[in-house]
Amino acid sequence: MPKPKINKLIFITIIIFTILFSLTNSGLAMATKQMTAEEIMKKRDENEYIQSAYAEVTMIISKGGRGIEKNMVMYSREKDAFVEFTNPGDRGTKFLKRDDNIWMFFPDAEEIVKISGHMLEQGFMGSDFSYQDMMEFDKLTDLYTFTILEEDTFTNRPCYVLEAIAIPGKKVSYYRRVTWIDKERFVGLKEELHAESGRLLKVSEVQEIKEIDGHWLPIQVVMENKLRRDTYTRSIIKEIELNPELDERLFNLENLH
Amino acid sequence: MFSIRLGIKNLSRQKRRNIITILVIAFAFFGYLFLESLLNGMEEMSFDNIRDFETGDIQIAHPEYWPERKELPLDHLVEWNEIINDEIEKIKGVSGVSPELRFSANLNNGIDEMGVIGLGIIPENYNQVFKTQDYFSEGSLFALNENKAVIGERMAELMDLKMNDYIILLVRTREDTFNTIEVEIGGIVKTLNPIINSTIVLLPLHLVQQALNTENNVSMVSLKTNFGQEELAQQSIHEYFREEGLPLEAYSWRESAESVIALSTTKKSAIGIIMSVVLLIGMVGIINNIILSALERTSEIGMMKALGMKEWEIVFVFMVEAAGIGVMGGLAGCLLGFLGVNWLVNNGFYIEAWGDMTQYGIPILDRIYGVWNYYSFGYIFFLGVIVAILSSIFPAYWAAHKDPVEAIYQR
Repeated sequence: MPKPKINKLIFITIIIFTILFSLTNSGLAMATKQMTAEEIMKKRDENEYIQSAYAEVTMIISKGGRGIEKNMVMYSREKDAFVEFTNPGDRGTKFLKRDDNIWMFFPDAEEIVKISGHMLEQGFMGSDFSYQDMMEFDKLTDLYTFTILEEDTFTNRPCYVLEAIAIPGKKVSYYRRVTWIDKERFVGLKEELHAESGRLLKVSEVQEIKEIDGHWLPIQVVMENKLRRDTYTRSIIKEIELNPELDERLFNLENLH
Repeated sequence: MFSIRLGIKNLSRQKRRNIITILVIAFAFFGYLFLESLLNGMEEMSFDNIRDFETGDIQIAHPEYWPERKELPLDHLVEWNEIINDEIEKIKGVSGVSPELRFSANLNNGIDEMGVIGLGIIPENYNQVFKTQDYFSEGSLFALNENKAVIGERMAELMDLKMNDYIILLVRTREDTFNTIEVEIGGIVKTLNPIINSTIVLLPLHLVQQALNTENNVSMVSLKTNFGQEELAQQSIHEYFREEGLPLEAYSWRESAESVIALSTTKKSAIGIIMSVVLLIGMVGIINNIILSALERTSEIGMMKALGMKEWEIVFVFMVEAAGIGVMGGLAGCLLGFLGVNWLVNNGFYIEAWGDMTQYGIPILDRIYGVWNYYSFGYIFFLGVIVAILSSIFPAYWAAHKDPVEAIYQR
């Protein structure tokens, strides 16, 4: 009677594997299901939050079928950032962000101008990123309450779709954000930015990501202004170095001259 | 008496030269009177444009808002209510009260965007203070409960907007969060004030308060006062705020018109420079005239001295001659000035051909009208005659001081 023994062995093996597999799967499923929106965002913040960085960036502004390319070098450290344009048309134009203030220097005018008030709503160097967008260096979990809307895929990557609503009293640019976050890499892949009235203002989509020193970072991002037709800005990080040694004087106003 | 008669008679001896000097003085006087009228007209129109379209006669604001008002902040707003409104309306001299909420916004037409200043108003109150209602080229001012906006003609041209088009204003709330106001264009204005025409979007106040999360607060309250009662009303409002313990101040429109006031200071300097040039022209003309007369009459001067005329009598002869030229030049100048100023007052000076004057801080479009200043006519006339007389003394003394014998032989 060997046949039944084999069958029994196979049966037991199948049962064990099934149990193991289902346990593993249910464990994974439980792990993901148990992740709250805050935990997902925290993981995202941990992944995307960089203490300091040096980057060479190209920005392509497309308006009505025409593209304008601008190149810049960026240095950032916590809430501070220094940007200098290097393309011929804008060479020497510099920006300095310190905490909640932005100054700019135009070489032709040889004057430092503080960007404040309504100027913050204007596009950064004519792009679809506003100066106000540059101001939000804070961790999003400090500014918004998150809820998971659904699970979806974006560019064939499984994503959590999270809705963020501004915490009352917090100064934020966008009242509501809907964000697609890669389930495994915890990097934001798409984001819809809404006004308090509910109107969709901007959509950013990440078209390329890269793992750098253990961080999955968006390398190519397209920002689309939904209030205007035929306009978007593509931002491409050409070079990036995380946590470089940065000179303290880099973030001084004197450095703008 | 002889010297006066001789002086007057001498006026007719070199007719052509004297007429030329008189004409030079006349045109210099005309230039002064014309330019002064133009500059005064520019100043008056600038002030009217500010009062009638931007500020009213008095503005009420929080003292901490006032210095920051150009940044259009949403802090330190005025908690305006009907009780305060009624009390202010009752103050003697106040004829209109218009609460308004000012904010910065980006106007979108779906293709382009431009930075604008939004102004939330109560239409009925706004019309009591400002004259915008008289300058609608299309449509009319919205009702308070309508989702409509009024824009200037220049803005409509720039953004390719027409009546009944929908616009989106991207604004930031009191918490700095982006919000949108979506409204239909219900009116297009072409006022005398370029700022209204190109920068301002008028909207119903409650709509703006809702979008900016400012509750019932406003940035400022503009007031219209009866003619000549501005200061009295301002003082009464100060007293009312002090009595009620309200943290508010009343500011004169002049404090909002710094650029035009600065222009007014520049104007005074410009008038001073023009006056100096005019008098210099007169002086040079007179000195030239007297020197030439003295050179021509050297032997005559020597003869008069030989016959016993004193030096001061000879100087007096030349002074009378200079005074005559000054009087005739002044009269001719005042006549030309009268004609020029009259034209300027009635027809105006077309400035659009000079380009956009607003970039120089002059809030005027189209035409500048002159204003009458009769005092200037008398002032320039008498000052001109005095300068003419004084200018003649030195060359006359130079002529009279010559030795009679040498003068007779013209050595």
